[in-house]
Amino acid sequence: MERKSVLFFLFIHACALLLAAVILAPLVWLFVMSISPAADLTAKPLRWWPQAVDFSRYGVLLSSVENSAGAAFVASLINSIAVAGMATIAALGLAIPAAWAVSRTPAVGWSLYMVIATYMLPPVALAVPLYFGLSHLGLLNNVFGLALVYLTILAPFTTWLMKSGFDAIPKEIEAAAMMDGAGLFATLRIITLPLAAPVMATSALFAFLLAWDEFFYALLFTSDLRAKTLTVAIADLAGGRVSDYGLIATAGVLAALPPVAIGLIMQRALISGLTSGGVKG
Amino acid sequence: MSALEIENIRKTYGAIETLKGIDISLDSGEFLVLLGSSGCGKSTLLNIIAGLAEASGGDVRIGGRSVLGVHPKDRDIAMVFQSYALYPNLSVRRNIGFGLEMRGVPTAEREKAVLETAKLLQIENLLDRKPGQLSGGQRQRVAIGRALVRKPQVFLFDEPLSNLDAKLRMEMRTELKRLHQMLGTTIVYVTHDQIEAMTLATRIAVMRNGRIEQLGTPEEVYDHPATLYVAGFVGSPPMNVLDGVATGEGLRLDGSDRLIALPVHFKNAVPSGKRVKIGIRPEALRLVEDDDRQPALKVAVEVVELTGPELVVTGRVGGQRVTACLPPRTKLAVGTTQAFAFDDDALHLFDAETELAFGR
Repeated sequence: MERKSVLFFLFIHACALLLAAVILAPLVWLFVMSISPAADLTAKPLRWWPQAVDFSRYGVLLSSVENSAGAAFVASLINSIAVAGMATIAALGLAIPAAWAVSRTPAVGWSLYMVIATYMLPPVALAVPLYFGLSHLGLLNNVFGLALVYLTILAPFTTWLMKSGFDAIPKEIEAAAMMDGAGLFATLRIITLPLAAPVMATSALFAFLLAWDEFFYALLFTSDLRAKTLTVAIADLAGGRVSDYGLIATAGVLAALPPVAIGLIMQRALISGLTSGGVKG
Repeated sequence: MSALEIENIRKTYGAIETLKGIDISLDSGEFLVLLGSSGCGKSTLLNIIAGLAEASGGDVRIGGRSVLGVHPKDRDIAMVFQSYALYPNLSVRRNIGFGLEMRGVPTAEREKAVLETAKLLQIENLLDRKPGQLSGGQRQRVAIGRALVRKPQVFLFDEPLSNLDAKLRMEMRTELKRLHQMLGTTIVYVTHDQIEAMTLATRIAVMRNGRIEQLGTPEEVYDHPATLYVAGFVGSPPMNVLDGVATGEGLRLDGSDRLIALPVHFKNAVPSGKRVKIGIRPEALRLVEDDDRQPALKVAVEVVELTGPELVVTGRVGGQRVTACLPPRTKLAVGTTQAFAFDDDALHLFDAETELAFGR
């Protein structure tokens, strides 16, 4: 048993608090901005805490009155969820078999590295060909089109992440299942995929976040409420003659909620890690 | 009918030949140990029998039926892996019953078989746990149970005890022996541990560089090693190997002018003037008064180690190192020269060039 002095104990906890403060401060400020009256946000010196709490902007953004800022925001929120959700599910659907195949057949590993090499290209290099491609398919300003574009970003990333997850599952376990008479799909369903659940959850979360935060392609390939996503909608809020910083902050808070919710739901899978004990560790 | 026949099995990886024509025929109920150091091809051979690797040539027959190209699940075999390879997300009960579950055995029948197997291995109280909650020895038992429950023709063990600590390894070794005696199953067992091989096997195949150096009962392998490699590999401490030359009068050790009489049974086998390697097991040496009436080595004693059950003496005879295992209470002073006698039967002779044993 290690002996620690009280001072050391305090030091460790102070460090942890400092780290938490640094990480959380911007979020707290975002929230404070969203509930501060407009006057407080432009006051000099800056007011760190609002004189009056004002939740009205949440009402504005979530209102369903037609042609209001709220309707536009809600539509973009739904678009974002649809695009990021579809792209994530499709990416996982592609990545699970691809990652497993590459992990178990190192001879075809080069194909994965080829795909990942396209990652090195800056998005702007692909923007024009993608634009023409989408235009040709009639998928411009369309959530499916945008999801398809995001899929090209997410699929290599999730495949690569999950390959390392599958690599960590010993081949002997699958060999044992095979000798026990389990077919390929039974082995995957009963043994491999449950063991890979944590890395699948991690991949899904990161893929969703990547799609959720994407701005460049969304800006290029969407033009109105039918497909515009949150990132573009927030940018629109800042683009008018008068910028309501409070409203932008409110949109930021609302935009952060779905990923946070998904993160909380997946927390169990994320922290559980690989169930140990199948093989000698 | 043979339970398992291996005929001229070859395996090549590119230009490297890891198995160079293996022939083994195994009767039902035999316990075959494939013994060798790492890289000798023993695990490759096991994987070929299991169907986890493809042979480059030759044939494997299980119960008289060629299984080349047959899926592992249809070969009527079960395998225990070195890493146990349990399913971490399933309970012990489902781990053991998995093979039956996949083969569509009805639940009631499956439950009964699992329980029987668990009782046999004394793990029936662990059935509802996950592998992560078990100790190493318990996991090993589950892995064995998973193989046993299916009652296959041939069991394959891939170094199953090498992950256990020394005490547990001995326990499990005895346990395996007990199971084999009780169930009379046919087993192929891979190990690099010569004690495991000696204690468990009904026959040992000592492998080296993709070839079988010797295939025989433990007694044969120990008492009549066919090659110098087998002589050095089986037995602990390893057999003393002394360089010498056969002369008309007897054997002359290098660096020593003393002659060792050539035992009668070697008289016609060893040509005079031939360079030989003389093998004598440490445990075959005994301390005697120095006289010329019996074959003896005169050893300058350098180190004396008491291991508990025996006294291990290391010394030199004519510059060549010799080890002897003596009873523990033997009084012996370091720095003295002692005579160690041995029986004619304990003398092994190998051709210095081919390293093959001379016939008797």
